[in-house]
Amino acid sequence: MSITETRVGRPPAASAGAARSSNAPARPARDLQRTFQLVLATVWLLDAVLQLQPFMFTPGSNGFSGMLHGIASGNPSWVADTIRWNASIIDHHPVLTNAPFALIQFLIGFGIVSKRTLKPALGLSIVWALGVWWFGEGSGGVFLGGATPFGGGPGGVLFYAVLAVLLWPRQGSDQPFVAARAVGVRAAKAVWVAVWTLLALLSVVGSGRSPEALHDLVAGMNSGQPGWLTRIDVSSASFFLHHGTAAAILLAVVCLIVAAGTFLPAPITQATLVLAIAVFAVIWVAVQNFGGILAGGATDPNSGPLVILLALTYWPLANNRATASDVAVAPAFAEQEG
Amino acid sequence: MTTTPSWLYYLFSVVMLGVAAYSLVLLVSSVATRRPLGWDVDVSHFFMGLSMAGMFVTKWAFGANNVWELIFTGLVIWFLARSIQSIQRWGLHLPHFLIHALMSFAMLLMYWFPMAASTGAMSMSMSSRGAKLDPGLAFVLAFVLFASAIFTLASPNKGASHHGTHAPVYAMSASAGSEMAASHSGEETTPVVGVERLLATPRLEDASHVVMCVAMGFMLILML
Repeated sequence: MSITETRVGRPPAASAGAARSSNAPARPARDLQRTFQLVLATVWLLDAVLQLQPFMFTPGSNGFSGMLHGIASGNPSWVADTIRWNASIIDHHPVLTNAPFALIQFLIGFGIVSKRTLKPALGLSIVWALGVWWFGEGSGGVFLGGATPFGGGPGGVLFYAVLAVLLWPRQGSDQPFVAARAVGVRAAKAVWVAVWTLLALLSVVGSGRSPEALHDLVAGMNSGQPGWLTRIDVSSASFFLHHGTAAAILLAVVCLIVAAGTFLPAPITQATLVLAIAVFAVIWVAVQNFGGILAGGATDPNSGPLVILLALTYWPLANNRATASDVAVAPAFAEQEG
Repeated sequence: MTTTPSWLYYLFSVVMLGVAAYSLVLLVSSVATRRPLGWDVDVSHFFMGLSMAGMFVTKWAFGANNVWELIFTGLVIWFLARSIQSIQRWGLHLPHFLIHALMSFAMLLMYWFPMAASTGAMSMSMSSRGAKLDPGLAFVLAFVLFASAIFTLASPNKGASHHGTHAPVYAMSASAGSEMAASHSGEETTPVVGVERLLATPRLEDASHVVMCVAMGFMLILML
């Protein structure tokens, strides 16, 4: 199945009757790239609001700065020192630092909405994401050897930057998938292969294939989660303890298959994308615990939803069209009817 | 110990009161000009604004919880009924009333479930039932509200958050629309007063919806 003239929320004229449909204004269908940009903006808005949680304004070990200090530990000193320097500033000025942090994310989210500010907002999001990756995520644990994709490695925030590049606005036509519009087919496929090969590699290097480490990864998320998620965590942790290495190898194989999928015929590409989406949906829930948001104190939803959005940008389009007004897949909010 | 950014809650509370006041003006002008569309959204935003201002700053809260629960239950039922009505009239689609039903439902949940602890200026301890809102549900609702805010801002159909896209003349208008909306409906109107021409613009109506969505999503995130 390819995405083509899929319209959601539009009442069919035939069923509504000619008299009824005559009242309906001719509304332009939303471009698929635009829809993905708006989904990305929604995630940025979520992040901005998460940044306003009381925990973020709390100095000391129980607050945001304390969390950053925890991320620093274990990293090489040249990485850890920069994180601690950042954490120290936040610790001394929690309001003066955290309020602008939230404001920047609001600006990115709402900036993506307006076509006039779209490019500056996406540009800012790349810079911000790289900064957060280094100072806020401890480089995603890459230098620790613990950047397994199960836990969000190589850093959930990096996917914001990748998506900003791939969703860069460009009037394009006859591209086989949305991501190709911004950078071209070859470059987009190169990005895809690089991302999924890296994910495969990170699955099996360092502590990524250690059953104990994977068990502890889930067990560490357990605190403060709702009961239903805690039960899922118990199962996940137990599974990793017994089959952690096999799970890591399996994830690596899946990542390599997904990486190759984009070079295969469209139906097989779609199958590999569905596989990628399903695997990362499961990981997002059962391992990443929605980024820890439900326990409070999280700053973002981790990599799960962003990897899914990334996969959707590579979904083959019917008739190689990704042009405006050809494609309209819009959530309920996009087509509010009265 | 968690430090409470009370200034933030005051800020949100003042903005909520602003939305409530704006909605009241729209409501009064709707009655004055016999505007047929959007008045129910004005009513809901008025109550939501007042209620949420009291949630962000406890000392600004008023009214019995039972009364608020009754109001928001009524609004949920009303908007669900309007959704069904819209589907019956226009065929299978996602009516814009659904997002208002969901917002009313979110308000209801805020009264049904208390927050674990009061924090400074803000208190969610409006119920004595002791149960806690499932964080998963709060998160889903918050995300839907944020998405509604973003997609409303991006929508070319300005004013659709209030009137839906089946009010074509009104929704597609870039300027004050009450006069056109009323004439479109074929109803007799009174002249549009200056204040309405200034305030009842589709962009401002959308802005009030966006602000309400963000504030409500923030409140739900605080309940996690």
